[in-house]
Amino acid sequence: MLWVDKYRPKTLDKMIVHQEIAMNLKKLVSEHDCPHLLFYGPPGAGKKTLIMALLKQMFGPGAEKVKIENKIWKVDAGTRTLDLELTTLSSTHHVELNPSDAGFQDRYIVQEIIKEMAKSRPIDTKGKKGFKVLVLNEVDKLSREAQHSLRRTMEKYSASCRLILCCNSSSKVTEAVRSRCLNVRVNAPTEEQIIRVLEFIGKKEGLSLPTGLGSRIAAQSNRSLRRAILSFETCRVQQYPFTENQAVPPMDWEQYVSEIATDIVQEQSPKRLFLVRGKLYELLVNCIPPEIVLKKLLSELLKKLDSELKHEVCHWAAYYEHRMRMGQKAIFHIEAFVAKFMSIYKQFLIETFG
Amino acid sequence: MGKRPVVVISSSDDEDGGCSVSAGCNSSRTKSERSVGRKKCRRLKKASVLNRQLCKQGHKEEEANFDALLKDFYEDFHGHSMAPGERGRRQKLGSPWADSRELWVDKYRPRSLEELAVHKKKIEEVKMWLEEWVRTSKEQFCGHVLVITGQAGVGKSATINVIASQLGAEVCEWKTPTPTLWQEYIHNANSGTHYISKLEEFETFVERSTQIPTVILVTEYGKAESGDNTKYSEELVLSLERAGASKVAFNPLTFNSIKKTLSRICREEQCNVPPEWIDHIAKASGGDIRHAITSLQYFCLRPDLMLPLNLSSLSITQSRGKSEDLNEMSKLIINSDENLDYEFSLPFGRDETLTLFHALGKFLHNKRETVDCSALGRDLFTLKDRYKRFPLKMDSPERVLLQMHGQARPIADFLHENVLDFLSDEAIEDAWIVASYLSDADCLLSTSLHGQAWSPIVAGKHDPENVTQLVSASVAVRGVLFGNSHPSPSRWHAIRSPKLWQVEKLRWHNKKLMLLEKFEAYNIFSSYGMSVMATEYKPTLKRLGFRSLEDLQVCRKMTECSKMEVGVYDLLDHDEVEGGTSMESEEDEIEDW
Repeated sequence: MLWVDKYRPKTLDKMIVHQEIAMNLKKLVSEHDCPHLLFYGPPGAGKKTLIMALLKQMFGPGAEKVKIENKIWKVDAGTRTLDLELTTLSSTHHVELNPSDAGFQDRYIVQEIIKEMAKSRPIDTKGKKGFKVLVLNEVDKLSREAQHSLRRTMEKYSASCRLILCCNSSSKVTEAVRSRCLNVRVNAPTEEQIIRVLEFIGKKEGLSLPTGLGSRIAAQSNRSLRRAILSFETCRVQQYPFTENQAVPPMDWEQYVSEIATDIVQEQSPKRLFLVRGKLYELLVNCIPPEIVLKKLLSELLKKLDSELKHEVCHWAAYYEHRMRMGQKAIFHIEAFVAKFMSIYKQFLIETFG
Repeated sequence: MGKRPVVVISSSDDEDGGCSVSAGCNSSRTKSERSVGRKKCRRLKKASVLNRQLCKQGHKEEEANFDALLKDFYEDFHGHSMAPGERGRRQKLGSPWADSRELWVDKYRPRSLEELAVHKKKIEEVKMWLEEWVRTSKEQFCGHVLVITGQAGVGKSATINVIASQLGAEVCEWKTPTPTLWQEYIHNANSGTHYISKLEEFETFVERSTQIPTVILVTEYGKAESGDNTKYSEELVLSLERAGASKVAFNPLTFNSIKKTLSRICREEQCNVPPEWIDHIAKASGGDIRHAITSLQYFCLRPDLMLPLNLSSLSITQSRGKSEDLNEMSKLIINSDENLDYEFSLPFGRDETLTLFHALGKFLHNKRETVDCSALGRDLFTLKDRYKRFPLKMDSPERVLLQMHGQARPIADFLHENVLDFLSDEAIEDAWIVASYLSDADCLLSTSLHGQAWSPIVAGKHDPENVTQLVSASVAVRGVLFGNSHPSPSRWHAIRSPKLWQVEKLRWHNKKLMLLEKFEAYNIFSSYGMSVMATEYKPTLKRLGFRSLEDLQVCRKMTECSKMEVGVYDLLDHDEVEGGTSMESEEDEIEDW
């Protein structure tokens, strides 16, 4: 098991970071009830950990006995019947699912499947009518329509189920959904907190972690705890005993993106654009989300850029990121960004160096 | 040598098919004819025989063919004569049917070389060949065969007939007969007629001939039509050439020569056809004079019905030629698609279906006039220099799109895949413009996708779904045309099929795999989002290398344990099932998109 999973705190009491949030949540569910919740925050901040611990707090160890179900749902969509395949993770008390896995058909999941799940209401040991918890991941990736139907579901079945939503950016969740939930912001842990966690893990694993390395891992992790722990483990595999100035390897796709950035800066021509497209395809095939590719690409490009151009380049990146969200095929938009960058950069080179 | 020289024409059967433009009932027959005819042609080549037998068979069939063709005219004619008030007008126009029921195509068959609409050079070539042959016939033993290729209706047989009559030669023509139907056969057998196989007939036709110049006419199909046919006829021509036949290729007739012929007919018929209409018919015929004449005759039948359309559609065609992109665009938006409809609902005009690749080629090569036409658009408004483009050397893109009946999505994908090859190496700015328009088109397409389920189904072509499809295809195509302002020097490019499709398929597949892995391997208590999986877990695991393998096995054991405990799903089993279904759903997905 990876260290990330191995040393994930299982209860709210054991949280190392976000202890305050954990305590608040504990108080919140002390009556065995809670409002709808929306956890949002950057990746690797600990949202999932909090949610899992919260479920355990609410339902006891029963929440940990989960099963995976991969089921094909027949959804009646007006004129035809759709088959939607959806993988869920469920215990007797909760169901966890990723509605956005269904792509543009996510609306049906929210409308039909969640309704289906929300209807069946468990009865707890005391004969009191209980409620079921639905954990929805990546709510911000849901289409607008899906979010609207989600709103209705939340109202209609609020008696029998609680929704716990989890997403990176609450700005991509509609106002209507947000206002029906208790919003819990989970900040990215500070670097000190990350170092503390790394040290904790190091102690448990019986490793001696030099402070320099620890802080470098934390700095490179971009304040993502998960990322930090993963790199920590990678470092451990690559070289032990640790040294102060040991390299912390980046993820392979990140390296690839920075190669792309180099390609772009080297030459600006349709031919080069075509080459870049091929490399971008490579990333997309490996399921790297296009938003992340674009973001990473931008940050790599900015490193190599004269500050004069940064503003404009950022503007276009934002523009095409928005386009990408509205559109369907990400490559069209990423490529448009790359082309725009090339065009700007070439213009700049001509102006500066003639 | 006292004999009259005789010319044999072996008209390829396609000729007949081409002739029956409107005789739809014929189509099933022509297919079988074709294959038979092809064999015959081959045999002819093998024997390399020259005929001297005048052949009159096939005459009946010819008539039958015409009958089918005439049916439409009769219908129209009868319908017309029902309305008594119009008779007067028809007579004023010099009603074509009043004096004779002959088709104009036959009536105005060219009688002299001058009347031929074919290019002078080509006529000369054919004539030279024949004369040469007449002069040297005794000595020469090879090269008796002349192959004339060309589309339907470019005047292949007319040329031969005219030249032969000029030379005073007799033409023996083999017209591919229609095959005998079974019922017909039985009927004939009962009535005592002996059945002769068509192949035999052809063989005797060929065998009875000796040293006579033979002209083989091969009708070329447009590349748009089924590829295998083209291949056969090409092969045929090639093998004929290898066997020593000389070849003359007829091009589609020029607009002007068709116009000239049409005007002449009009004069002789005393039809008062407005010159714009002649223009229009000539343009619509696509170099097929038979078609043009038939259209003209048809038009003269009921000009009253055509006239109202006349103005609107013509004004559009004219403006289309001159105006610039933007101007055209606005016109199109104002007039919406009705104009296009008119043009397509014209009762004549060849079927101008284009294949996807043909149309893509048009868009990507982006051929434009090189003259400066800014003067033409000046009266409307002036554009900044960087928005100026020369007029396109093709119909408006929307029209081309309609002709190819494509869907917006694949068109955008194809353009996206291929357009960079057609940009000149320096033009990164152009690349951006193109890319940004494609990105626009993609956005439009995706809104149409989401709207689909919500919008009530509105009838017909004004359904919003349909409109967005049209608009986004138009945006994509025009973006490509507009953006590519410095096309790379034209050379041969293969048009690739979008790699994007492959990528999407693969991605879908990988996603499925990852979805399973996600649950199977790492953390049974929770699941991660796809992005985390892809960006963090997988790379780490890859790097951890063998440890992860071991790890996975441990995890698998764990999952198995937990499976036994809670009695859950059999993941492995499920895996297999899914492998089967995932492919299917994936296919569907692609289609849906």
